[in-house]
Amino acid sequence: MFSEQAARTAQGLLAPPSAEASTFARVPVSTYVNCSQHFRLGERSFNRQYAHIYATRLIQMRPLLLERARQKWGSGIAVRKLCELQTAEKCCIVGTLFKSMQLQPSILREISEEHNLLPQPPRTKYIHQSDELILEDELQRIKLEGAIDIQKLVTGTILALYGSEREDGRFVVEDHCFADLPRQLPRRGPSTDRFVLLVSGLGLGGGSGESFLGMQLLVDVVTGQLGAEGEQSCAAQISRVILAGNLLSQNTQNKDTINKAKYLTKKTQAASVEAVKMLDEILLQLSTSVPVDVMPGEFDPTNYTLPQQPLHHCMFPLAGAYSTLQLVTNPYQADIDGVRFLGTSGQNVSDIFKYSSMEDYLEILEWTLRVGHLSPTAPDTLGCYPFYKTDPFIFTDCPHVYFCGNAPSFRSKELTGVDGQQVLLVTIPDFSATQTACLINLRNLTCQPISFSGFSADEDEGEMEISH
Amino acid sequence: MSWRRSQPSPLGAMGRKRLITDSFQVVKRQHRDPDTKEGSLQPEAVLVPAESPTDSSLHSAQLEMLKQFDLSWEYGPCTGITRLQRWERAESLGLSPPLMVRETLLEHVGDPSFMHCLWHDYPL
Repeated sequence: MFSEQAARTAQGLLAPPSAEASTFARVPVSTYVNCSQHFRLGERSFNRQYAHIYATRLIQMRPLLLERARQKWGSGIAVRKLCELQTAEKCCIVGTLFKSMQLQPSILREISEEHNLLPQPPRTKYIHQSDELILEDELQRIKLEGAIDIQKLVTGTILALYGSEREDGRFVVEDHCFADLPRQLPRRGPSTDRFVLLVSGLGLGGGSGESFLGMQLLVDVVTGQLGAEGEQSCAAQISRVILAGNLLSQNTQNKDTINKAKYLTKKTQAASVEAVKMLDEILLQLSTSVPVDVMPGEFDPTNYTLPQQPLHHCMFPLAGAYSTLQLVTNPYQADIDGVRFLGTSGQNVSDIFKYSSMEDYLEILEWTLRVGHLSPTAPDTLGCYPFYKTDPFIFTDCPHVYFCGNAPSFRSKELTGVDGQQVLLVTIPDFSATQTACLINLRNLTCQPISFSGFSADEDEGEMEISH
Repeated sequence: MSWRRSQPSPLGAMGRKRLITDSFQVVKRQHRDPDTKEGSLQPEAVLVPAESPTDSSLHSAQLEMLKQFDLSWEYGPCTGITRLQRWERAESLGLSPPLMVRETLLEHVGDPSFMHCLWHDYPL
């Protein structure tokens, strides 16, 4: 642990200054491979419909699901397409799920003047008792009933169902199964303690200066300017920092200036300009000392649809001079010192949260891994690029660390798969609200939060704390 | 004996369903230059040599085969992408599309009636 190691070594701050200033060399990067090439978009063409991405998703995942179905229900089960279904025959069907939700925001309903409806207020959850599940394959669709949790599942999931068709045309489900965790490559982690720091939701440009102190403390801890020699030698073991999205605050997306006429807003500067300058200065401090990977998030100046492309390097004139600064995509996949990391800035998880009864971000994260797809709700309710050749969000390899940013709180869990896969699931909390970041130890895949707090005007005790 | 085409019926005069190409002829934008030789420098766009009467039946048979490729549902949706892209996608997903289709497409690269799908001229 960070503080135990610090306690064992070296002297504390209450010691006479030594004759020489001690320096600690940061652990070198042994291996780093960026595996996010399939999330990069070259030439973008939006002249396509989304039918292609659903078709490839089903075609790619069908063999995996049939294998899982045969493992679960026996190899002798009858596998049928929806057009081959016969009444009261027990069989297995594979398809894409569609949940028809009464409360789902629909642009057609909004602009329908006949109903004189006001636009729907945004809600936290759009689920309703009357939601229905429908399974679609290449040619047909069928309504589902029976032993299936309608509230939990979301549109776009590919799954296999076991049951039979009833006379009235509905499929009565007895059991269901997902693609489950894919195979995992062996982990060749380091033999000594090596840490990766995960932070998300810096929220610059938010207007409130409360999180600035926490952010500066974070940067100082990582660059080794804080604490006694014990803490500094521990900080030298941080080999990488990953910023998982929402570097800018939601307040920089000022809707008023976007919707106003250009001649009125000519002299005003976008709020994001100042925020990006602040971000550049913070990244400069970090990049001089440690490799940094910057992932864009929901409120950052890049494209809206998934996969989000890296922020442009011209926005970071100061920090961009250092090769340690890496601007990467969202979602992001990389091999860091032999450990496979995969994560997003949280849009996929928060979108599923809105349309499912699952309350916990960690539960949703685990569910996406079990379903075998990063964000099944794309492109239905989450913006997505119209891929036609493959669906890049399908899990091909099981990661060792799977994270999502901008969660309400820090949670982590170690998951063991059926075939012996070991995954560490981490939900990184929003730094601007919780002042908490995560440290992952690559040697034994454990995770601990590290939180920073400063003076607050309300508190009587003014103590600066760095707690573990 | 003459063919009567005055009354349109669903089956048509030749006993087959009416196609849209009966009313709107397919217009191919090609330069029919019988003097073109392969390898000669031509400043214009792709020049296709003129077809003899026996070739045109082969041409239409090939177009018919490509149309059947478009309409077969196993290889996924066909709109919005070229036929070659669709063939390559089907190949990489392991659906074993017919090789004849690819050869025909590669013979006629640049010919819009071959490259694009059946519904190319219609909006999204």
